[in-house]
Amino acid sequence: MTARELWRRFAGALGRGPRRGELDDELTFHREMLEADYRARGLDGGDARRAAALALGGGAQIAEAWHDQRSLPLLDSLRQDIVYGVRVLRRSPGFTLSALLTLTLGIGANTAIFTVLDAVLLRPLPYPDADRLVTVGDRGADGDSTNIGWATMADYRAGSRSFDDLALMRSWAPTLFADGDAEALPAVRVSWNYFRMMGVHPAIGRDFTADDDRPSHWHVLLVSDGLWRRRFNADPSIVGRVVTMNDVAYRIVGVMPPSFEPLDAVRYFNARAELWAPIGYDLQGDSSCYSCRHLRGFGRLRRGVPPGQAAAELDTIRDRIRREHPTEIDAASVAVVPLRRALTGAVQRPIYVLMGAVAFVLLIACANVGNLLVARSVTRRQELALRAALGAGRRRIARQLLTESALLGVGGAALGSLFAVAAVRALAAAAPVALPRLEHVAVDARVLLFTGAVAMITAVAFGLLPAWRGAAADGRESLASGGRGRVAGASRTRAVLVVADLALAMVLLAGAGLMLRTVAALAVADPGFTADRVLSAQFSLVGEAYAEDAAVRAFQSQLLQKLRAIPGVATAALADQIPFGGNDDCRGFHAVGHMKANPEEDPCIERYGVTPEYRRLMNVPLVAGRDLLESDTDTAQPVILISQATARAVFGFDNPLGAQVRMGSATRGPWATIVGIVGDVHHADVTAPVTAAMYVPEQQLTDSFLVAVVKTTGRDATTVAGPVRAAIRELDPKVPITQVAVVPDLVAGAAASQLFVTRLLAAFAAMAVLLAALGLYGLVSYGVTQRTREVGLRMALGARRGDVLRLVLASGASLVFAGVAVGLGAASLTTRFLGALVFGVSPVDPLTFAAAAALLCVVALIAHWLPLRRALRIDPAIALRSE
Amino acid sequence: MLLLAINMTDKTDVLQGTLDLMVLKTLDTLGTQHGYGIAQRLQQVSDDLLRLNQGTLYPALLRLEQRGWISSKWGTSENNRRARFYTLTRAGRRQLQREADDWQRMASIMSRLLGEPGTPS
Repeated sequence: MTARELWRRFAGALGRGPRRGELDDELTFHREMLEADYRARGLDGGDARRAAALALGGGAQIAEAWHDQRSLPLLDSLRQDIVYGVRVLRRSPGFTLSALLTLTLGIGANTAIFTVLDAVLLRPLPYPDADRLVTVGDRGADGDSTNIGWATMADYRAGSRSFDDLALMRSWAPTLFADGDAEALPAVRVSWNYFRMMGVHPAIGRDFTADDDRPSHWHVLLVSDGLWRRRFNADPSIVGRVVTMNDVAYRIVGVMPPSFEPLDAVRYFNARAELWAPIGYDLQGDSSCYSCRHLRGFGRLRRGVPPGQAAAELDTIRDRIRREHPTEIDAASVAVVPLRRALTGAVQRPIYVLMGAVAFVLLIACANVGNLLVARSVTRRQELALRAALGAGRRRIARQLLTESALLGVGGAALGSLFAVAAVRALAAAAPVALPRLEHVAVDARVLLFTGAVAMITAVAFGLLPAWRGAAADGRESLASGGRGRVAGASRTRAVLVVADLALAMVLLAGAGLMLRTVAALAVADPGFTADRVLSAQFSLVGEAYAEDAAVRAFQSQLLQKLRAIPGVATAALADQIPFGGNDDCRGFHAVGHMKANPEEDPCIERYGVTPEYRRLMNVPLVAGRDLLESDTDTAQPVILISQATARAVFGFDNPLGAQVRMGSATRGPWATIVGIVGDVHHADVTAPVTAAMYVPEQQLTDSFLVAVVKTTGRDATTVAGPVRAAIRELDPKVPITQVAVVPDLVAGAAASQLFVTRLLAAFAAMAVLLAALGLYGLVSYGVTQRTREVGLRMALGARRGDVLRLVLASGASLVFAGVAVGLGAASLTTRFLGALVFGVSPVDPLTFAAAAALLCVVALIAHWLPLRRALRIDPAIALRSE
Repeated sequence: MLLLAINMTDKTDVLQGTLDLMVLKTLDTLGTQHGYGIAQRLQQVSDDLLRLNQGTLYPALLRLEQRGWISSKWGTSENNRRARFYTLTRAGRRQLQREADDWQRMASIMSRLLGEPGTPS
C-alpha cells in the first residue's frame, strides 16, 4: 500500500472521497449497458437482465469490496466501536461519572508524582554528556563524597587516567556594596578548568585560563546572566569592568549563558552561585595542604570508565599519598559519585515512596472500575447475548467491551492530566526547599506519554476481565432468563476485587500512619536546646574595616549592647554558627594524652565560637566544671567547653576537665584548657545521633561570619526581627545580613521532607480509603439488592431484623477480614521501604497497624450498614414481589 | 494461465496486480473510458476466454485512483447517459511501463523454463 493510498483510505474512513451512491450509479449504468448489449444480441428482456446481472457479479460483494478499499476496515470498525461505546457510556451517566472520577484521581495522582520524579530524578542534567560528571572526595558516612584538600586533588589530577578533567570548588561569600545596600552574593571560587569540565562556555567574554588560577592572579570574575541583568543592566560591554568586593578589586572577564545552571551551589551552599572567581592556590599556600579539606571535587569521567573503576584508581593514589605523608592524611577510601546522585540522592527515597503510594491508589482505582464493569456486564448480559445471537464473534464483542474501557481510560487520562497540572503547581509550592530541580517540573510531552501509557494499561487491566467474561457469556441461557438471577462467577470476581481494594488501602493507611507518628515523634524530639522565643540573624564582617581583630571585637560588643537594649529582648549572644543554621565547622580535636599515632585520625568535633551568654540563652545544661566567662578574652588563657558526647568519644572514663587541646592542627596553634562539660545538642538532624561539640569563647576566635541570637520576653520572637536588623545596620550599613529566622523554624525546616511526605501520604491514604469504601459500598449494595427478595421472605417468615443483619454482615465480615489480613501482611512487607523517613517508631509498629486496621473495619461497617438499612426498611410484601 | 488468474482476481496480490496492469494498459490504448468500456475491451481482447466478474473492476479502479495512477470524473456517455470516466495519469503511465517490463521479463523466464524438454519417463 503506498503512502498516498493509505492517506486517501484514511480520509475515506473519515467520510471523505467517493460516496457509496456514486458506486451504485456506476453499477447501474454498467448493468443497463450490458442489458442493452445482450438485447442487441437477441436475448429478450428477462434473459438479458439475468445475463447482465451474472456478468456483473454479486452487488453486495462488490459493494463490500469497494467499501473496504475505500477506507481502512480496521479503522472503520474502531470508529463504530467508539461511536457505540460513547453511546453506551452516555446511557448510564451514573456509572460513567463514577468510573471517570475514580480514574481521574488515580491517573491524575500518578501523573503529578511522575512529573516530579521525571524532573528531579530522570531528566538529564543540563550539561553535555552529564552522565559522565561526578563528584570526587573522601567517602562519607552515607556513601557520598566529602571535602577534599587542594594538594590531594593535584595528585589525583597528575596521577589519574580515569578522568577527562578534575576540577575544584570552594564556597565564597563576597559582598557587593552598591546603592547604599550591601548584598552578600552566593558565589563560588573554582579551579580554572571548572567550566571547561562542565562543558559550558561564557556567553560573553572568556573562560578562566590556567594563568588566572594562581596566587595574586585570581582577581577576575565571571558573572551569572541573572546578576548581569540585575546589577549591571545587561551591559554588553561589561567585559573589563572593575568591581570592588570586600575592598578588593576584581575585573569581570565574562558572563555565563542564561541556560547555565550552577546546580552545585544548591546542594552545597544553599544558593545558586552568581559569581565565580578562580581559587588561586599553589602548593606553597597555607590552605593547600592534604588535610586542608575545605574544597569540593568534581570530575568528568573518561568515556566508558565506570565510577567504581575511577574510585579504585584514586584509592591507589590516595594510599600512595598516605605512605609518603603519613601524618597529613587519614585512612579513608575515595568516593566517585555520579553528579545526579550527589544532587538528588537525599530526595530519591521520598519521591519513590510517593510514586509507590500513587501506584497503589491507581491499583485501587482499577479494581474499583473493574468492579463496576463486572457488575454492569451482569446486567448487560442480555444485550451481549443478543449481539452474539445476531452473529457478532466473541472477539468482536470483547473488542467492543475493551473499546469502552479504553474510552474510560482516555477520558480518565485527559481529566487526570488537568488534575495533574493543578496538583503539580500545588506540589511545587508545598515541597521542601531542599527538593532540587523542582523549577523544571512541568507536565510535558514525556509526562503525557507516561500518562497515556498508564491510562492504556489501566484500561486493559480493568477492562480485560469483564471483556473476557462478556465474550464468554452463554447466549441462550442469558436470553432465556431475561438477564435475571445471580451470577456466581461475577460475585466471586467482585469479592476478589474488594479484598484487593481493602488490602491496598490497608497498606497506604499503615504507611500514612507511620509517617504521622514520625512527625509526632519529630515534634517532641529534643534537639538538646530550647529554641522557643529565639531569633537568629546571620551577618558577616568583611572588608578593610574589619581586617584587624580589634575592630571585629569592638563591633561585637557594641552590637551586644544595642541588642540587649531592644525592648522585648531578654538576652542576646553572638555565635559563629548555631545548630540548624545551615553551617558546619568541624575541627580536628587533638587532646594531650588522647591523640592517635596519626593525628589526622583524631575525631572531628563541631566547633561553636560563642559569647558567654550563648549557653544559658540556648538552655544547654552545664554538666560539670565552669561556664565561659566575660574574662575569657583574647589576652587570657585559651579555654573551651566540650559536650558530653565529645567527652565520651575522646576521654572515655578519664576526666576531661583540665585537659589540654589543640583544634584543627595538632602541631600548630595555642593549647586550650577544657574548663567545663555541657549537654549534647543535635547540629542539623534530630533523627541522627547527637553531635560531638566544643564551645570556644568568641573573644579568642574573632570570627567574621557571625550569628546574632536573641531571646525575647514575649512568645513571638519574629517581632524583634526588624529591630535586630536595624541594630546591625546602625552600626555599619555595609554589613550584609544573610538570614533572619526564628530558631524553631530552622529546626522544623530540617524535618521538612518528612512533613512533605507525610502530608502527601496522608492525602493518598485518604483517597485510597475513600475509593475502597466506595468499592465496598457498591459490592454490598449490589449484593443486598439481589437479596432483597430473600430478606423479604425471611422477614415474612418471622425472622427478626437482628437475624438478617447478622446473616448479611457475617458474609461481608469474612471479605473485610480477608482484605485487612492480606493488607496487614502486605504492609509489613512494604513499609520497610520508608526506611530512614520513619523516625521514633518501628516500620511494623503494631499500634499503628492495629489503628489502621480498625479504621478500615469501621469504614467497611459503614459501607455495609447503609445499603442494609435501606433493604430492611422495605415492606416484606413489596420485597417478595421484587425482581 | 490467464483464465486461472482472472478467476482468482481478488485472491492474491500478484494476481490483483495482473488486473491492475490490464486496466492500465486498456486505458493507455483507449484513452479516457468508463468502467463498462474497460470491461468490454478486456472481454474483446481475450476473445471471451476471460470470465471476469465485471463488478470486481470497480474496487480495482478505486484502488488505482487512490494510488494516483488514474483519475476520474463524471461525464456523458456515447448514448447520452451519465457515466464516470477514467483517465491514465502521468504516474499511471510510468507505472504501466514498469509493470509491463516486469511482466515481459517474467513471461520470458516462464516460457524459457516451460520450453525445456522434460526427462523421458
